[in-house]
This record gives sequence, structure tokens and C-alpha cells, in this order.
Amino acid sequence: MLAALIRKEILALLRDPHGLAALFVMPVLFIVIMSLALKDYYSPSTKSLAYAIVNLDAGPQAQTLASQWRTQHGSPATLPADWRAALLSGHLQYVLEIAPDFSTAISAMSTPPGVKAHLLAEPGLEHAALRSIEAELAASTGELRADALQERFMGLTSAGGNSIRKLVSAERVAASVRPTAVQQNVPAWLVFGMFFVITAIASLFVQEARDGTLARLHTIGVPRNIQILSKALPYLAVNGLQAALMLAVGVWLMPLLGGDRLQLAGIHWPALLLMLASISAAAIGFALALACLVRTHAQAAALGAMCNILMAAIGGIMVPAFVMPPVMQAAAAFSPMNWGLEGLLQVLLRDGGIAAVLPYAARLVGFAALMWLAATLLFQRRMK
Amino acid sequence: MLTISALSFQYPGAPQAALSGVSLQVQRGRVLGLLGPNGAGKTTLISHLAGLLAVQQGSILLDGQPLAQARAERPTRITLAPQEYAFYPMLTVAENLACFAAAGRLTGDKKRERIAACLSFAQLERFAKTRAEQLSGGLKRRLNLAIALLPEPELILLDEPTVGVDPQSRAFLLDAVKALAAQGCTVLYTSHYIEEIEAIADDVAILDNGRVLRAATLPDLLAEGGAQMALRIEGSVEAALALLANFGTVQASHDGEIALCLNASATPAGVLQAIATSGATLHMARYGSHDLERLFMQLTHRTLRDE
Repeated sequence: MLAALIRKEILALLRDPHGLAALFVMPVLFIVIMSLALKDYYSPSTKSLAYAIVNLDAGPQAQTLASQWRTQHGSPATLPADWRAALLSGHLQYVLEIAPDFSTAISAMSTPPGVKAHLLAEPGLEHAALRSIEAELAASTGELRADALQERFMGLTSAGGNSIRKLVSAERVAASVRPTAVQQNVPAWLVFGMFFVITAIASLFVQEARDGTLARLHTIGVPRNIQILSKALPYLAVNGLQAALMLAVGVWLMPLLGGDRLQLAGIHWPALLLMLASISAAAIGFALALACLVRTHAQAAALGAMCNILMAAIGGIMVPAFVMPPVMQAAAAFSPMNWGLEGLLQVLLRDGGIAAVLPYAARLVGFAALMWLAATLLFQRRMK
Repeated sequence: MLTISALSFQYPGAPQAALSGVSLQVQRGRVLGLLGPNGAGKTTLISHLAGLLAVQQGSILLDGQPLAQARAERPTRITLAPQEYAFYPMLTVAENLACFAAAGRLTGDKKRERIAACLSFAQLERFAKTRAEQLSGGLKRRLNLAIALLPEPELILLDEPTVGVDPQSRAFLLDAVKALAAQGCTVLYTSHYIEEIEAIADDVAILDNGRVLRAATLPDLLAEGGAQMALRIEGSVEAALALLANFGTVQASHDGEIALCLNASATPAGVLQAIATSGATLHMARYGSHDLERLFMQLTHRTLRDE
């Protein structure tokens, strides 16, 4: 009995190209688009920005600064006559203006007043990129001044050998993986895609209630829990296929498209499977509860999509939770999608094992149990 | 076979009962036609028989056994072909039959045999591999019926089975119902088409406002009305009606037509003579035996199509 109903669900799903596209193609597209769009977010490149140098100083330090900048950021654009207009229009993204007395100021005993190296950026340049360039300029200028003072008072010529950059370093603590847009977006849109079964299940359920097939099954003695299970199990398999597909996209497709490769080497697979099963149970439970609650296709489509998007927006799928203000981060903790995402990130970014994902999996399973109970009660009420 | 006694049911929050003291007997191998306007309680009654609603008051016995108990032992003794196309549009005809056969606990050779028999009975063999969504309305109705027949039910509930079908398919379905009854299957048939009930029913029950207004065999119902006349008169209508009361039961319909159920001693000629005597002008007169539609109108004070 159950096998026949599961077979029916699978056949119906396989013959619904639009439904398949929504469940499989849409999350893949999100992964590809968002990963490529946010490619530089985790490793911002200031080297690819179009820039020019206005060097008004013929002194040695000014020449060194310009030379170092060219080395670090590539060849500058030819300075147009009206470079301010070029900045305003975005043709140039920034201009480094070196003041006429830059070299004098660098070698002076005390730091003279006034700006000696000025960065002018186009209006649309991202804040983080501007701050990054500014920090580089400050560091370079500081090194030049340190070199100049060393030479003046100690007679030492460093020729760059005393660079303070060697004294500092920054890295993320992770055994095997590093955060990339792909590493962040694959789990995010995988969770979103898995929850997208909500609309599919709810619409199918409404259709069958309206057609009288649910009632017909009931009249020939098919128990309600078998009817619910026959909906849930095929979508558990759908969620499994979605997960395999999204991970494959991250590992094999993204590098071909110029993105980073999803790194799975060394991750804790049992923890990943536990998280995927928990997310699937929560998504299907929520879908069944919603399916038993709504009465029309319009309600199923609207409410399903709305819940999906709200949970995704709040849960850090669309915008990572860490860039949200504290209030929104607190709100994110109430979204099941956030529990799913955080649990997956524990595995995919932080080398987490079962213990690390257990709090998230427990929340999802608890949520799933609540939703399955609601679905059973609502279904019984509907059939009465 | 089926005995419904004093069945009453009220939906939660509803201002009045959907069924009030309904009592009916359904005999094995007979076709019971259930007539009633929308809201009469037909669907509620069918839902009870299909096991979709629990009995609140009264009782339903299937061969002397409470229905719930009988259904628990073998749910497929009574099956339902609802008014909706209750099957899966994305599946083929054969896949639908296979799915519902398995859901009804048929397996192995028995399953294959029943699928073949139902395909044949509904003359759907040619369409076995056609997706249900691609069938015409008439073929969909046949599939709906075929699915209900899979478990060889003792009683089949057919709820408006000819809605939206062409005349050929309607004729096919009516013949199919007669064939089922001839094979010993009991049929409970609801329809908005009184002529269908007249064509196939052995027994008729007329429901309105949750009550059985009349239940009898079809010949008894038609006979109890006796001969009748339909009249349209103008002028001294009041005087004419006073005279006509001596010839039988007078009832004026909403469209100005007067229905006169004649006494045993009354004759059409006597009626026409009385109208002439009253001074009223006769525009139309029709004489004939009682029919189900007129009886339905008399009992419910409306026609089925007025709903």
C-alpha cells in the first residue's frame, strides 16, 4: 500500500517539469549566481580596480611610493586630463594623489600637518575596498617614513628589508577549509532549496483534497499516517538528491565557472548527513503542516513562498547573519533555516563533528516533530 | 442489506442539522436513486456511508452489523465514486488503477485480474496508457467508476456520476449502473437529472433539509400521484380554482401553471367543463400520468434545476 502511494508520488513528480525545475534548477542557479556575485566578498581584490596616480612630487620617497603601488596594484591607467570627471563617472575607481611635499614630509623630524597622500575614490566604490586601500597606503607611507628616519639617524639603508609587514599576519583558524563565497553559498542555498519542498507538497496536497483522492483513499481504508508518510518519504529522497546535486555543483561546476571549489576533504561526513536528515525532516514537517492548513492552491503558493522567503531572509540565507545588526542576528536564531545553515557551516567551515552540530540538529528535529504532530491533527480535522 | 435508522448529524458550528432522523433501507442488488436539491443532505448521507463522517445520532447497519465495525473489517465493502475526478491526473489510466488497487490491498494475480476486469467494464482498454489528464470528460467519469469497482464492492456510492459528460457517455454510464445491479452490486445513485433516476432506479428517496420526504419503489411513487392535469387559465381564476378543488388537489406553480392531481372519479372532460362554467379562459391543458419531477416539485416546492 505504502509502496504504491510512494510510486505514485515519484511518478507524479517526475512528470512535472516545472516542479522539478523549482526543486533542483532554482537552487543550483542561486548557488552559481550568488557565489560568483559574492566571489570577492571573502577575499576582496583591490588589485583589479582601475586607478591612476597623480604624482606631484619628484622626490625619492614619492617615486618609491608610486613604484611600490604599481608593483602591488598593477599598471595604473593613463591619467586623463579631467581625471575628476573620470572618477565621478566611474571610469576610474580611485586616484592616488601624492602631494608636492610628500618626500619632504616623510623625511621631516616631526610629522608635518596636512595630507600628503590622498586617495580619491569614485562614488560607487565599496566601503570595505576603500578602507582596504587606505590601510595599504597608510602602511606603505609608514614604512617609507620609518626607512627615512632609520637612514637619517642610524645611517641604515633598508631597501625594503625592514618592512613591518613581516611583523604581522592574519589568518582564519581552520584545519582544512577557508571561507569562500562557494563554501558559504552552497549550504545556504541548499537549505533554501530543501525547504522549497514546502510549496510542492502543499500544492499537491490541496490538489488531492480538492479532487477527492484523499477522501477516496480514506474510504478504502488507507490509514491517515500512511497517507502522510507516502507524501513525506519521496520528498526525503528529493531532499537527498538536492543535497547531492548542490554539493556536486560546488565541487565540480563552480571551479569551471571561475568560482572557488567547495572543499569537502576532511569534513565530518556523519555530521553532514545528520544535518541533512534533520533539515529534511524539518522542511517536510513544515510542508505537511502547511499543506493540511491551507485550502486552496493560491493559499498554498502564496503562504509557501512567503514562509520560505521570510525564513531565508531572517535566517541568514540571503544575507549572511554576521553582517546583520544584533537585533536581526537575534531574530535569525528563530528561523529553522538558520539552524540548518549554522549546522552545515559547522561542518563545512569549522570542521565540526556530531557534537558541534547536535544543538542545531536537535532544534530541527524538535521543530519537525512539532510540525508532524500539527500535520496529523490538521489532517484528521480536515478529513472530518 | 443497509439499514439507516434515525440518522441525525450536525456539522460543528452549523445553525441547523444536515441530517434529521433519516431512515432508509437499501436492498441488495437494487439501485436507490437519491434526489434532493443542494443542501438537502445527500453528500452528508453519502459521507456517512463512505466512512468519512462518524455517526452522531442514529445507526447505520450493514447486514445487521454497525457500519463502522463492518468497514473496519473490510473497508472496501462500500466504495465511493465522488463527483470530482478522484484520481491522479499525471498518472496513466493503468497506473491509476494499479495505485488504487494496491491502496485497496489487492495484490498479485487478483490485482491484475481486477484491473483488467475494470478496464474492460469501463471500456478503457484502449486508453490504458493514456495519462488521465488527457482523457475526455466522459472517459474520466468512466475511470472514476472503474476505480470504485476495483475492490468488488457490495455497495457502490455514485455521486452525480454523469455531470459534465456527453450524451453517449451518459448512456454508457447508465447502462453500466444497470449492469452492476444485474451482477448483484447495490448502487446508491445521486443525480440532478430526474430522468436518469427514472431510467435506472428501483427505489427512490427524496431528501430536503436533511429529512427524507418520501422513499418508496419507483413504480409506487409514480402510481401514488395518479392522473393529473396541467392548466393555464386567465380571467376568473379564483372562481375556477374553487370549482377545480372538487376534482382533486390543486397546486399553483411559480410560473402560473396550475397542477391538478385528479381524484379517482374525476375526468379531464369534467375539469374542462368546470373551467368553462367558471367563466375563466383556458389557454393550455395537458393531461397525463404523474412523473417524478412533478412529485419532486410538490414535495420540495422547487425544481432541481432551480437551485
